[in-house]
Amino acid sequence: MAFTAPYTYIQCPCSSDPPELDPGEQAAQDAIESDDEYTFDPRAPRANYSLYPLEYLLYCEECQEIRCPKCVNEEIVTYFCPNCLFEVPSSNLRSEGNRCTRSCFQCPVCTSPVQAGEIPNEPDPTLLGADNNPAAHVSYALFCQYCNWSSSEIGIEFDRPSGIPAQLAKVKNGGEPKITAKDLKERRKENPDEPPIADNLVDTELQFANLKSFFQNQLSDSTGVLGNLSLADGAGFSSPAALSRIMTLYTAGRGQPGRQRGPPDTMREAHSTDDGLRIAKLDESAEVKKLFRGGWDETVSREQTLAQLEPARFQDELRPTQCTLRTKRSKRCAVCRHIISKPENKVASTRFKIRLVAKNYIPSISIRPLKPTASGILVGLRPNVQIEKPLKPLQPCQYIVTFTNPLFESIKVTLATPNSTPGRFSSRVTLLCPEFEVDANTDMWDDALRDDGDLKRRDDSNGQAEAGKIYERGRNWVSVVLEVIPPSLRVENLDLTAKPGEAVDKSPLKEDEDILEIPMFVRIEWEAEAQHDITGTAGRDKDAREKRELAYWCVLGVGQISHE
Amino acid sequence: MASGAGPTTLPHRSVTNIRSGPSQGPPGPSSPHTPPRNIASVYGSPSTVRADDEIIVVEIGSRFIRAGFAGDSLPKATVQCGPEQQRRAGDFRAWQTLARKPGQAWAAEHEIWRYDLREVDTGLVRDKLDRLLRDAFTKHLLLDSRPRRTALVLDSDLPVPLVSAVLDTVFDRFQTPMVSLLSSATMSTVAAGTRSALIINMGWSETVITSVYEYREVKTTRTVRGGRFLLDELYSKLLVPLVTDERQQDNADHVISFEETEDIMCRLMWCRPSATRLSQRDSAQLETVEEQDESDVETPTNATPSTGTTQVPFNSTVPPRTVDVAFESLANVCDDVFFDPSAPAASFDDHELPIHMLVYQHLLQLPIDVRAICMSRIIFTGGCSAILGLKERVVDEVSSMVDRRGWEPVSGKGAEKHNQKLQGRSAKGSPGETSPPEDRQIEHILNPAFAEPEYDSVEAKIARHRYHDQPIQGKLRALHSLGPWAGASLMCQLKISALATIDRELWQQQGSLGASRPNEVDFKAQQRQSMGAGGLIRGSGGHHMNWTLGAWGAA
Repeated sequence: MAFTAPYTYIQCPCSSDPPELDPGEQAAQDAIESDDEYTFDPRAPRANYSLYPLEYLLYCEECQEIRCPKCVNEEIVTYFCPNCLFEVPSSNLRSEGNRCTRSCFQCPVCTSPVQAGEIPNEPDPTLLGADNNPAAHVSYALFCQYCNWSSSEIGIEFDRPSGIPAQLAKVKNGGEPKITAKDLKERRKENPDEPPIADNLVDTELQFANLKSFFQNQLSDSTGVLGNLSLADGAGFSSPAALSRIMTLYTAGRGQPGRQRGPPDTMREAHSTDDGLRIAKLDESAEVKKLFRGGWDETVSREQTLAQLEPARFQDELRPTQCTLRTKRSKRCAVCRHIISKPENKVASTRFKIRLVAKNYIPSISIRPLKPTASGILVGLRPNVQIEKPLKPLQPCQYIVTFTNPLFESIKVTLATPNSTPGRFSSRVTLLCPEFEVDANTDMWDDALRDDGDLKRRDDSNGQAEAGKIYERGRNWVSVVLEVIPPSLRVENLDLTAKPGEAVDKSPLKEDEDILEIPMFVRIEWEAEAQHDITGTAGRDKDAREKRELAYWCVLGVGQISHE
Repeated sequence: MASGAGPTTLPHRSVTNIRSGPSQGPPGPSSPHTPPRNIASVYGSPSTVRADDEIIVVEIGSRFIRAGFAGDSLPKATVQCGPEQQRRAGDFRAWQTLARKPGQAWAAEHEIWRYDLREVDTGLVRDKLDRLLRDAFTKHLLLDSRPRRTALVLDSDLPVPLVSAVLDTVFDRFQTPMVSLLSSATMSTVAAGTRSALIINMGWSETVITSVYEYREVKTTRTVRGGRFLLDELYSKLLVPLVTDERQQDNADHVISFEETEDIMCRLMWCRPSATRLSQRDSAQLETVEEQDESDVETPTNATPSTGTTQVPFNSTVPPRTVDVAFESLANVCDDVFFDPSAPAASFDDHELPIHMLVYQHLLQLPIDVRAICMSRIIFTGGCSAILGLKERVVDEVSSMVDRRGWEPVSGKGAEKHNQKLQGRSAKGSPGETSPPEDRQIEHILNPAFAEPEYDSVEAKIARHRYHDQPIQGKLRALHSLGPWAGASLMCQLKISALATIDRELWQQQGSLGASRPNEVDFKAQQRQSMGAGGLIRGSGGHHMNWTLGAWGAA
């Protein structure tokens, strides 16, 4: 439903499975399916997930099917940082957490890249920071070029301008050093009687590490005696280990006094901070006061928290995040495993080694009004979009639908549209010429050198909207006329068209309900050279022609209906 | 409750049969263990190890999906399902700067699913999940389409059709060879380091209280007082009168967009401390104890810090404007939604009990042992638990209710009269409602639960030899949990297999109808199978095996 009508969308055949219905409706649906009367409804909520612009679609030559992003398998060619464009080897990926470790940071406020820079040492109003004493200790911070955020706002400054990620990982917001599990272990080694650190110093990572080591200890403890007995080396008593195992079965209990009484093989729960236990901090009056003081501006918006690794509430809890890496992916057909798209390995290159885009295999469809209301735009102002006036309800208007054939064979196109579009406000649609042939995409000069015989065939185009006739025909394109009577968008009028006894949905207009969309079923037939390269029959019918067809639903976005 | 009377004798037995949790985690005393496995890397070929290593943990709630790798403390991606995510490919209106007009579709288009299946199109749910997961996997987890084992963290009350929609998506679209289902309540327990807990999940659609005892979900109660209710109340009671002059008509378009309302809820919502806490603080501040009646709980006392207002910009209103929002009124909304102090206790329906009452009722209905353990392991999870001061308020309210009423399942006038009679008979004094401390003392004497046990020399001897750490029990205590996602990440990294582990082939052959009941499944076989290095054994015995959806039930 791109906003700038007119447009066309194509439904990938992979998602045209029959819609799931209740058992009751299913029977009715079956009846419809068997008659091939099923009409695709572009306004159904599920339609958004299966419709693609032509440019998004690929084509598998082997299966001769359209392939959408859903029905391809992907393989990653390279990982790279979008900011510094450096390639990251896949072995480093896990340890680096899918993020760039080369000083590429994003501003937590506005997500633009931040850069390390010197902090002006003495904010001397007379000097504009030009002549600072070079001997003085210089500290660095990250600065956002766009929104002027700097990491000194959250109390983080660095000693060196390089190796920011390592430095940042060691500091908490506010400048305090971050306590990691490793630190704790070392501290414990030096001073075994030290009480566990206070709960408010424990952050998510530390608690997770504590929990992990706690569970690992517990698991190995509890499986120590009995666990090894049962599963260590399988069943059977042939080995000496098994013998000693049986011996310990009866003595183990007595041999180890600690284990005997207590439940030996259940894990206990965490008891202290070192085990990962953390008492919840219930008293949040300080935060409430902070909220009162700072108000709206002090808090973090939804987008900002989502970009953070850990959820944050106040602005000073935000941290700059490292850029997430991106990937270049090659795509394979999910059915036949043939590669249908493969980009070049180099990060900076935008070229593809293989790319079978659907635009080269299926006709592109465009739609424009027969009598445009918008005046053309001057060449100088070209990127501007000319916006058509909204369609007048209940007044017929005509559109030209153009099919352009990219194939080197001429194709036979059969179109079908429902008489009235599905949905609450249904428009009447008439295709003046539902069956026609589009010539092959031959060389431009061939066209000029053609003899008269071919020209005669083109006489069916008359430049007028007439039933059963093509509107216009060119080298590899054909235009036909589509007539539409848009509905009135008044909710009150719904009663008039509704069948008696049917409930009428009189809720106000929903988003995009005023856009006229026409589902159209397109069926293409053409004859291509048979692809029997590998099989033995190749020699025999070398120039045998093979009939092919492709059928899919597409959606024509005609325009906006006026609200009068 | 049928289980209320019986289990006092053998609570564990009866309790464990109610619902066997999906986390077979640390199994009971009898079941054998495999040591945490580091061996796999020695025997398996490097490629299988890598594929095996990367277990993807996906937590699916009704608003968010969190996805990441097992062993990480935080998920790599948190994706949300909004109308912008539901547009067609190539529709870039989400990036246009103009704010979206607030339509009439409100919360529904921001949710992945609702549990009320009458309103849910499972096909649409599948599409949404597909897109969200694909988004998370490609953009944040940087995965290709190679098959990977997946652990799904789901609410254990998720209806089977939705579970099967999730599984269909994961198996069909992402070629996952095997999926483990983990219940979010149990995983929250794990992420707090305990074996039992009372999980108060203040989620979007409702607040669910689940008591987990020895990693098994024992009881679940719920109330609609959750995020959606709060948002609706915030919108209709506070924001609409601020923005518009006339009252909003039904069925009309919303005047403020959902996103902005939610933003206000997340950023500014706070909760007043309970009356008792407030009086404590007052006494600390003013050094004079003010007598406070129960009646003025909801009226703010003068001692609360001056709250004032804050300026909130609205872009979705016509025209855009900046409005002063008073913090007091935000707290009023919060009070009304979660505690509803003004309404009498009898006026609530079963599905809309205030949180503190629900917690109390829930604990009350638990067997006494379970209650003792669970009440000192209260864990708050879910989005609404981030509201400032809310956790403290809930705990305070519950503890004051316990102080007031004890653990008497019967309350009301008749019960009071009866109690008075008893007290009149036994104690000579006249204990009335006016002196609650005395009352409680007497109750202590009366109630055998509070009686001092006689000294037993044999018992003491046993106790000396018993496992020395007695678990903390019997007092209210709240624990901090890392959340269900982190719990599942821990479990998967420790290679503890889930009870509900579903094989792709079996699922595609049988669907949800093939699931058997949890007790019909041979866990050991399954455990061995799922933990075998690189799934070497999978091919052999897979087809004859029973499998289960665990707590999610059998169709």
